[in-house]
Amino acid sequence: MQNNQPSRRSFLALAAATGALAGLPSFTASAAPLRSSEPLSTPRHQLWWQAPAGDGSMIEQGLPVGNGRLGALASNDSGRELLLITDATLWTGGLNDTLDSDGQFPYGRADFGSLTLLARLTVEIPDHDLGAVSGYRRTLDLDNGVVTASYVRSGVTYRRQIFASRPDDVIVLHFGQDGGGRYTGSITFEGTHGETGGTAESFAGSFANGLKYGAAVKAYGSGGSVRVSGSRITFTDCRELTVVLSGGTDYAPDAAAHYRNPSLDPLALARTKVKAAARNSADTLLRTHAADHRALFGQFDLSLGTSTADQRGLDTWARIQARADTGDPDPELEAAYAQFGRYLMIAGSRDSLPMGLQGIWLDGNDPDWMGDYHTDINIQMNYWMADRLGLSQCFDAFTDYCVDQLPSWTDTTQRLFQDPRNRYRNSRGKVAGWTVGISTNPFGGGGWWWHPAGNAWLCQSLWEHYEFTRSRAHLEKIYPLLKGACEFWEARLLTTTLDNGKEVLIADSDWSPEQGPLDAKGITYAQEQVWILFGNFRTAAAELKRDAGYAATIGGLRERLYLPVVSPKTGWLEEWMSPDNLGETTHRHLSPLFNLFPGDRIRPDGSTPADIVKGATALLTARGMDSFGWANAWRSLCWSRLKDADKAYQLVVRNLRPSSNGSNGTSPNLFDIYEVEQGRGIFQIEANFGTPTAILEMLLYSRPGHLELLPALPDAWAASGSVTGAGARGGFVVDLRWHDGKPTEARIRSVGGRTTTVVYGGKARTVTLKPGQSVTLKDFAR
Amino acid sequence: MRSPSHSVLPARGLRTVLVMALTAAFAAAVPAAQADTPAPIAAKPYMGWSSWSMQSSKYPGLNDKGDYSYLTEANVLKQTDAMASKLKKYGYDYVNIDAGWWMDWNWKEGYDQYGRQKADPARFPSGMKAVADRIHAKGLKAGIYLPAGLEKGAYGDGKTPIWNADGCTTADIVYGDLRTTNGWDSAYKIDFDKPCAQKYIDSQARMLADWGYDFLKLDGVGPGSGKSGDQYDNVADVAAWHKAIAATGRPIHLEASWSLDYGHAADWQKYTNGWRIDTDVECYCNTLVTWENSVNDRWDDTPAWTGKAGPGGWNDLDSLDVGNGAMDGLTKAERQSYATLWAVAKSPLFTGDDITKLDDYGVSLLTNREVIGIDQSANPPARPITPSDPQQVWAAKNADGTYTVALFNLADSPSAVTADWTALGFSGKASVRDLWNHESLGSFQNKITEALPAHGSRLFTVTPKGAALASTGYEAEASGNTLSGNASVAGCDACSGQKKVGNLYQGGKLTINNVTVDKAGTYLVKVAYISGDSRSATISANSGAGTSHKFPSTGDWGTVSTVSVPVTLKAGANTITFDSGSGYAPDVDRIDVPKSPR
Repeated sequence: MQNNQPSRRSFLALAAATGALAGLPSFTASAAPLRSSEPLSTPRHQLWWQAPAGDGSMIEQGLPVGNGRLGALASNDSGRELLLITDATLWTGGLNDTLDSDGQFPYGRADFGSLTLLARLTVEIPDHDLGAVSGYRRTLDLDNGVVTASYVRSGVTYRRQIFASRPDDVIVLHFGQDGGGRYTGSITFEGTHGETGGTAESFAGSFANGLKYGAAVKAYGSGGSVRVSGSRITFTDCRELTVVLSGGTDYAPDAAAHYRNPSLDPLALARTKVKAAARNSADTLLRTHAADHRALFGQFDLSLGTSTADQRGLDTWARIQARADTGDPDPELEAAYAQFGRYLMIAGSRDSLPMGLQGIWLDGNDPDWMGDYHTDINIQMNYWMADRLGLSQCFDAFTDYCVDQLPSWTDTTQRLFQDPRNRYRNSRGKVAGWTVGISTNPFGGGGWWWHPAGNAWLCQSLWEHYEFTRSRAHLEKIYPLLKGACEFWEARLLTTTLDNGKEVLIADSDWSPEQGPLDAKGITYAQEQVWILFGNFRTAAAELKRDAGYAATIGGLRERLYLPVVSPKTGWLEEWMSPDNLGETTHRHLSPLFNLFPGDRIRPDGSTPADIVKGATALLTARGMDSFGWANAWRSLCWSRLKDADKAYQLVVRNLRPSSNGSNGTSPNLFDIYEVEQGRGIFQIEANFGTPTAILEMLLYSRPGHLELLPALPDAWAASGSVTGAGARGGFVVDLRWHDGKPTEARIRSVGGRTTTVVYGGKARTVTLKPGQSVTLKDFAR
Repeated sequence: MRSPSHSVLPARGLRTVLVMALTAAFAAAVPAAQADTPAPIAAKPYMGWSSWSMQSSKYPGLNDKGDYSYLTEANVLKQTDAMASKLKKYGYDYVNIDAGWWMDWNWKEGYDQYGRQKADPARFPSGMKAVADRIHAKGLKAGIYLPAGLEKGAYGDGKTPIWNADGCTTADIVYGDLRTTNGWDSAYKIDFDKPCAQKYIDSQARMLADWGYDFLKLDGVGPGSGKSGDQYDNVADVAAWHKAIAATGRPIHLEASWSLDYGHAADWQKYTNGWRIDTDVECYCNTLVTWENSVNDRWDDTPAWTGKAGPGGWNDLDSLDVGNGAMDGLTKAERQSYATLWAVAKSPLFTGDDITKLDDYGVSLLTNREVIGIDQSANPPARPITPSDPQQVWAAKNADGTYTVALFNLADSPSAVTADWTALGFSGKASVRDLWNHESLGSFQNKITEALPAHGSRLFTVTPKGAALASTGYEAEASGNTLSGNASVAGCDACSGQKKVGNLYQGGKLTINNVTVDKAGTYLVKVAYISGDSRSATISANSGAGTSHKFPSTGDWGTVSTVSVPVTLKAGANTITFDSGSGYAPDVDRIDVPKSPR
């Protein structure tokens, strides 16, 4: 947060000053990049492999690069580099405001839409066929944000670097060698939607929804020749070769403009960008990119202990396999896994749209569930990590998305939610504010079913970012979202009388995600969400000094909200207002435990009735330890909150299991794979963010005014370790070192927070700071 | 449709080699045709071409006159000429006519007055002898094909006379109940207890010898060819052929086909020069083969047979269709792997491609002298030494102390594959030569790792510079071990200590205790095991979850084989557990733990 990098906010300020802010499209002319001459840092976090990806295994083996908008998976095959390129805004579909006969949203690729691929780039070097080279190796340098592949052919070491630059808004491939070698081959660059009329160096197209897109490539070498030959670019006897590409759409995050910028010509802009970038050497482009990347990456560091020499000697995939095979902790691998999540966040979430189910990494035009934003867990988990692991700036894409979608969400909700066919409509007959579908797209549209409590969960995430950053600008941005969600629930809550005669407010008919009865009133998921929403709104209004009267009304409603009880039959915290288990015991979602994590209502510290803690623990236990990806990450987070380090760690380890033939776990490129059906695994990115979050929550638990060190430190990491730059709710950043399972030093820095207790081992100290100040605490040992 | 058949090469065991040498001596004494002393038959795996792959394919333009119609005199001679000009100098010399030379375009058979197959005049207008002569004129050898048994069409109401056998008719050579035999039931089974029976085989052999053929593929042979039981036991047929060929005085290579029964390996070794160990490699589809259809089966099916191959008789993996990517239906990587396995397994190398249309890459595969040298050398065939994963290493120790090492990635996506020197039996440095790329890669410490594409391979000669590696053996049956579930100690003649641990199924577990090493690390533990079919076990050390490893079939429950599996051990005492899980694991004889980690 404090660095020389122009942040999203300062960039916006710059844009505003130059009058360029209104309707700022995602793909836009950028200011002249801030050039850096700094060499690349020595990578401390380097993943490496001894094999490339194949055409059919790009999701499992392709290495991701991204500049927050443009993303690509790279095969790194020596003889045939393949890049599958995605633009975060290249979506089919639209507002999707004609409901199906059941009053729910259509959910197809034409109506709701889907994230799709922008382009395929291949660079063929026939003499470097994989079968003819030796010593093949590729690396992902997390510190500098660069993919490198190297190999030996006839005694010459060839090395290529691939990166996606935000400052230059291009993806760059640089092919070099150590002397005496030559590159001869051809480049093809083409769209994936049957575009016509393109050239070897560019193409353009548009979708049925009117979205226009275009992309361009430029190649230049030293020695030899590079020329266009029909639909290809050929290069002959080049000592070095650089390929620069860009592309984008005329998407604009502006509901009033129907999410388009009609004045933008994506093809022309792409050409301009590659031309501008190609005026620079590959090294200049790389240094500029690496400096930009490092500014974010360097905001946080993590050590979970020391791995053995044997572990260090293994390539990343072999190490993942050995971790599972031997059961021996590999602390450096586990820390690297967390850092990989941060790398993905920097690559996938900057100034454009936020990340959904797969971020900006696809291997085709038909990603499962459209690669969309799931609001009943997905986008929220994606962003649990950002503040905690020192990437607060990356959260902004999520905030901006919600703000930019709000006009459409409000309009759609108010026009369509009371459709008499919608089983979830408000039985009181009125609707207000806004909510969303279980799925959302970037055009204001919902997909699948209505998701009444989705608004509350989105608000909870947005609010947490405020707690981490104490940014008033952020609070002002999200306030309309919070207020609109409150208005929605004010119109929706029903009054009912419990057996004990108490009158309470409960949520109207709803579905506890994604199981059990379709129409249950007062589901725990909604009750907890609304309880949090109302509380946060009241605080927001107070801090902004707005809407005092309405805030009081909402506060009053909150007091009357029904909160779940423990079932006398199962001993579990109830998911529905029923003592019966109406769903799957080991269901993936932990919806009824929402207030264990990410919420804080249920605490094992004596402040929560013991039976509730016990019931929540019993429910979590029943949900089991053998789920997959995001569901394991969520479970781990809940166990951390219950201070069960062993279970929390086991679930992290479970996600680190190698995925083979599509099984649940981690693929060679560290993407999380979910076995959607026997033998077919798909990439679901949220575990790549949820698991790092889980790792962090074992080390640090925070809520406003309360900061707890090493709440669930597993034995595997106890010997020694450190974390620097960890975000803490309440407006602090924490650097923490530990030894023999105990903290040795904790530095608390305020980024807006004023006072907090710092707890370890049941002992609390109070810290009071001004923003920018810090204090270092020691002597935790006794 | 008639199902494909393929030839088996007769392999002879050691005894056979002696017989062959005698045969060759006699042959040399026959002055007329054989001026030069011929090399003993199948001293090396034969090389050449077979017609069947193109006959069996739906590839456009090959079989315009109906199924299998590629087989014509014109096509055979066209391939002969192409082989002579392109491949002969690399050692390819057999031109083998496969099934159908006596069939018309509608696959209707023709026989002579003695119930012997007769050349179809439309396919072979000049007759079979003329074709053989033309092949010989190019300095090549001629091969031909017959099914086992007496074809039903040759029976002729039982009254068809047998050539050169007074009083014998077809009714006198088959069983009275006309029981059928061979892989298609296309023939009546011959009763070799009847004196006329051998005469019929003699008459066929005489005919082929007179025509000048040098090679016979006898197809549909059982046990094998998808059949079992007495009715399909054609060992007597094969023996009769062996005898009949010897009687002709002409050296004729006898190859038996297909999917021959491992339990009768000694018979195939005794009577033949090669045996097809597997089903047809062809896909009967729009290309010659496909990887998934049957090429990739060979990695599973070959290991059990490895020990059966040798001079005089070889494990025949079927046609090597790697010469033209489009026609073959394979990627470049698959073609190279295909050729690599055939070479290291010392299979006969006969292509089924259109030799007139080899592509550049196909030529490079079929004419790589270093790779052909592996196949044709006096060194033994390679065995899988770390076969458990889709990433496999096959190796053979050569007479000169080097190793032939093949890396395979059988997975559908690229992968690194590592050959550890400790799995070969030595440690330290070794120099590596890349045979496909004709390049010395330099010196490698402890191992070599290469990136392989999906279904890809590498082929090396590894020359050790380091020392042989000592190891410590642990018997599975040792009293200090822990057996659980059904696991139990059983006798085993072939095993060290004459005992093994078996019944490792459905929860059965063997834990070898007190496996002691000085240094923590991953060790390539050599496992001696017995498994009549391919089985898996999860192998773990200490409290680890372990990894499931696949053990190739050893062919039967009396043969011990070894593979190496990586196991990560800590310094000091360890346990190593073989867990059958919910399935069936092999029987374990012993393990040998090298003194040094990988």
